[in-house]
Amino acid sequence: MISAHGIGGARDLPISPELAIAGAVAALTISFTVLAVAWRTPRYDAATSGRPAPAWIVGIVDSTWWRVLWRAVGFVLFLYTAMVAVFGKDLLTNPLFGIFYVWWWVALVPLSLLFGRVWRAISPVRTINLIFAKLSGGDPETGVYRYPEWLGHWPAAIGLYAFVWMELVYPYSTELGPVRLWCAVYVALMLIGGALFGNVFYERADPFEVYSSLVAKLSVWGRRDGALLVRSPLANLDTVTPRAGLVAVTAVLFGSTAFDSFKDSTHWVTFLQGSDYINNHSWAPTLVNNLALLGFCLAVGAIFAAGTMLTGVEPGFRRRTLPGLFAHSIVPIIVGYIIAHYLSYLLEAGEATLIKASDPFSNGSNWFGTANWKVDYYFAYHPTMLANIKVLAVVCGHVVGVIAAHDRAVKLLPRRHQLTGQLPLLFAMVAFTIGGLWLLFSA
Amino acid sequence: MRKLRHLIAVLAVLAGALFLTACGSDGQAPASSQPSTKTIDIKFEGKSVTPNGERVNVAIGQEVKFVVTADAPGEIHVHSSPEKQLEYGTGTTILDLGSFKTAGIIEVESHSLEKTIVQLEVK
Repeated sequence: MISAHGIGGARDLPISPELAIAGAVAALTISFTVLAVAWRTPRYDAATSGRPAPAWIVGIVDSTWWRVLWRAVGFVLFLYTAMVAVFGKDLLTNPLFGIFYVWWWVALVPLSLLFGRVWRAISPVRTINLIFAKLSGGDPETGVYRYPEWLGHWPAAIGLYAFVWMELVYPYSTELGPVRLWCAVYVALMLIGGALFGNVFYERADPFEVYSSLVAKLSVWGRRDGALLVRSPLANLDTVTPRAGLVAVTAVLFGSTAFDSFKDSTHWVTFLQGSDYINNHSWAPTLVNNLALLGFCLAVGAIFAAGTMLTGVEPGFRRRTLPGLFAHSIVPIIVGYIIAHYLSYLLEAGEATLIKASDPFSNGSNWFGTANWKVDYYFAYHPTMLANIKVLAVVCGHVVGVIAAHDRAVKLLPRRHQLTGQLPLLFAMVAFTIGGLWLLFSA
Repeated sequence: MRKLRHLIAVLAVLAGALFLTACGSDGQAPASSQPSTKTIDIKFEGKSVTPNGERVNVAIGQEVKFVVTADAPGEIHVHSSPEKQLEYGTGTTILDLGSFKTAGIIEVESHSLEKTIVQLEVK
């Protein structure tokens, strides 16, 4: 089964070739300009960057009622989702699909970009873990074991892959049973992990928290030793901790979104449907889609690893640590592309989900008064504006990424390799950005 | 080192100039006023269908019609917003889709074959 996205109707028009070329040239220009004129001594330092947030914001954000409020909001959403998952009908009018694929997966990105670590604040699995700890008189921060360092973000990368597999490859992605099962397994694994390792498990292994907190590094909100800071997104991005599996997380996020664009392109559709071999074997389309998704993620990881490692280093420096040390710099490219890919979908399918949410059991009820709303297809009436926003988002993401990589390069690389050592990564980033623009143009 | 930096600066300026020229050529002719009906022939034979996922250009406001020839009855899903479902019988059926008011890509699928028939590029 290809592209039978049960949710969302018409897709965006491709961007025009002129716009794609303009975006690509802008990305190239800016890349080399940054390399030629930017600073030669590292500028961002996690230990000193940012300034304390205004006292009134700290007063609100660090108060108990604020934390409890967002835990409660997250838990109410969780209970509502569990309710429609268990008692709702197996129909596309069930809001579960929109909550799962649009609110949870897509809306998390802009929310984290604006407000910081959103999933950490509302995560129902953290809340349940907290309640268990309170009831048993323990500490939610600690578990039975210490979380092993070598595991890093690998569980999160696998979890994110499981999500995109469900969304993009699994043929029954819009049937109730599988989505419910996915959520149940997620909650179960998260509760076991929290009990075993404490809250550090959520910070490193919960796919949604890792995703949300990574995007939050592009927000203006940061913390140092518990104190709330206001930082420039670039300074904030510099504070990403390079743990094991971080590159895998970025490769899954970027590779899967690129595959999502690619699988709707006529190239892929006509290839899949035009091949006699695939047509004659019922298992073949799913297998080929599986391979393509995996291939996209692996290709992104490989290009990025090669781009970061092809540089001169000081003797004794372990080259294999380079992809992780530069991984933060690909985050803005991912976020820019995700905004371009999902902007209209988020607004349209997100609103459609709000409409469906008012009738959770598909029996004509109107719980929240939103059931009679009509989805606003603003961008379908303004395709040129949408295309411009898309290219702007991709180019802005590219610029931030290149600057972040430059600053890290002048911090890490020996002086004589600082300029040449950046070139392979710069080419990798340009390849990602132009690849993204090509997908927006051809999909 | 200094030479390399110089070279990069030159490349940057050149690329910038190219960017401006690329931006400058952004004129597009407006679409024609009242287009005629777009007729698309669709043929179902066993497990195959033609066209096979190709893209067809449709103007905003243009009437679209499917002429379906099939060896078994079935249903076509049009993933517009809102979505449409159209039934056809054995033999030849003419399906009137009406026109589309907004720009976008609209997938036309056969759910029983699990295939995309055409993608309508409305603009």
